[in-house]
Amino acid sequence: MSYFVQLVVDGLATGSVYGALALAIVLVNRSTGMINFSQGALAVLSTFVAYAVVQAGAPLLLGLLVAVAFAVVLGAFVERVVVRRFEGGDANTAVVATIGLLVLVSGIAGAIWSYDPRPFPSLFPNATLGLGGVFVSVRSIGTTVVIVAVMVLLQLLFRFTKLGLAMRAVADNPSSAALSGLPVSRLLMIGWGIAAGLGAVAGVLVAPQLFISPTMLDFTLVYALAAAILGGLDSPLGAVVAGWFIGVVENLAGAYVDVIGNDLKIAVPFAAMIVILALRPQGLFGRRTVVRV
Amino acid sequence: MPAFLTAGRLRAAAVAVVAVVLVLLPLVSSPYVNYQVTTMAVFAVALLGLNVVMGYAGQVSLGQSAFVGIGAYVAGYGTLNGWPVLLSFVVACLLPAVVGMLVALAAARLRGLALAMVTIALPIVGTPVAKRLSDVTGGSQGLTVSWLEPPSWVALADDQWRYYVVVLIALGVFLLTRNLVRGRVGRSFAIVRDNEAVALSMGISPYRTKVLAFTLASTIGGASGFLYLAVVQYTSPETLSFGTSINLVVAMVIGGTGSLVGAVLGAVYYVLVPVLAGQLDASRTALLSGAVLLLVLFVLPGGLVSLPRRVHQLLTARRRRSATTPPGAPDGQAGTPALTSDGVAP
Repeated sequence: MSYFVQLVVDGLATGSVYGALALAIVLVNRSTGMINFSQGALAVLSTFVAYAVVQAGAPLLLGLLVAVAFAVVLGAFVERVVVRRFEGGDANTAVVATIGLLVLVSGIAGAIWSYDPRPFPSLFPNATLGLGGVFVSVRSIGTTVVIVAVMVLLQLLFRFTKLGLAMRAVADNPSSAALSGLPVSRLLMIGWGIAAGLGAVAGVLVAPQLFISPTMLDFTLVYALAAAILGGLDSPLGAVVAGWFIGVVENLAGAYVDVIGNDLKIAVPFAAMIVILALRPQGLFGRRTVVRV
Repeated sequence: MPAFLTAGRLRAAAVAVVAVVLVLLPLVSSPYVNYQVTTMAVFAVALLGLNVVMGYAGQVSLGQSAFVGIGAYVAGYGTLNGWPVLLSFVVACLLPAVVGMLVALAAARLRGLALAMVTIALPIVGTPVAKRLSDVTGGSQGLTVSWLEPPSWVALADDQWRYYVVVLIALGVFLLTRNLVRGRVGRSFAIVRDNEAVALSMGISPYRTKVLAFTLASTIGGASGFLYLAVVQYTSPETLSFGTSINLVVAMVIGGTGSLVGAVLGAVYYVLVPVLAGQLDASRTALLSGAVLLLVLFVLPGGLVSLPRRVHQLLTARRRRSATTPPGAPDGQAGTPALTSDGVAP
């Protein structure tokens, strides 16, 4: 039983990281209709900035703040300089463009910091908490709590601020938002910036476990994309719940199903995704859209 | 231009020159150059397959490396178990075709991102599966083989013989694919890519067309896997990794989407860039690749193959501008870049 709870809590922690990145993907998709394959690479580059700050002798918390600030600027910059050109155009070209960004951004990280994985300090002590015979790691609980807090903040931003309202308007209908006098292009830049900042938080939280390297988040990105699709690409709540679901299920399957084991864990989210897409193509929480021809 | 230089004759002359160069090249160049050129032929075939599904049929596929990998493993397994070469080749094409078709039967109902995700699953799940099936695949070590030596009646070195075998098969695959994409099948790909509703109203099933495109792409990918093993004599899970798939997409777009020549140019790029970047600093390969891809998407959406046309376009636009005041934008590919190029010419 204790082992089971441990697995579930650890699964929730990794699931939170998937969910955070999935949420970033959903934010971008809602505002620009694009799937950002470079979301993970942007997060890694920002995490490397935190790494550099820590290497310079500053505390990790400062590193995290600098990384998030850097990510917001980087995301906005990428939207303005590269992505804007492909918005509203051919969807396949947009996918290829963000793949180009993925290769380029991780190439930048590789050129500066090389491809060898390096240890990364954790925000949380490497201890376990005992609660009635059940032991769970502080790191897992901390990761989950931080990411839930960030998500609540985002929800507050979107629900209760003017900026959030404007961003929702742009996501809903860019042209009528523009006609009502909203600065659509600036809001899109902010959207990409927030998404990249969210990625930076996820990157810093998961780096101690994965060891930091330019390819650190490649697999996490795949999980996050699966979570985004599972939850429905237009549902932030769905992305988060699907992230947790994937994290917990793959952890349990890896531990209890012998055939799957640790190496084939990655097949679990895909199997879930294919089943759900076959039954509910719009995802668990997504809305069905009708396309008029 | 003199009258006897018609486009048709120029083209025939170009084909003749290329043919002569292809035949003579291995006889005069070093084993290293032969190896590189043969590898280009291998990846030209892999990119051709990717082009069928992504360029001609317009469906995103991020799983092409899986089919190359399966083809290479089949060829390796066949060689180690003493299959005749022809049998290895047939199975190396058929097995990926079956896998590709099964995946497509499920995935072709989806579109856009969902499709991309299902195809990503192939290399992502395929890599650990290949490691797991170590009896067949040699696990992480991979398979090392020693085959396709020149028969005794041919006075050629290993590299020269393999060059001829690989280039000949590659040419065959290109010819078959060329006929296919220029004919009825190619036209149905184009219409499904451009507008599925129109395709339906013409009596073309988008679903079946997509499944066909995926199956063809995986068959061609399997053939290139066979050729890969012929040249490199080694394969490992790395061949079917996600990174390989991404690099294939990058190379295809840089070469030219929806174009046969583009696949060849993309393969030249795929093979040369690591070599060139390695001379500076190996860790810069990805940086260079990403930058080149974005540059191509910005200024040359048709890929390298459209470079002459684009230059011509810019020159005539300038000439016209200096002659008269132009009305608005320059002609041609201004505006949002699209992956679709004029590969399927009528």
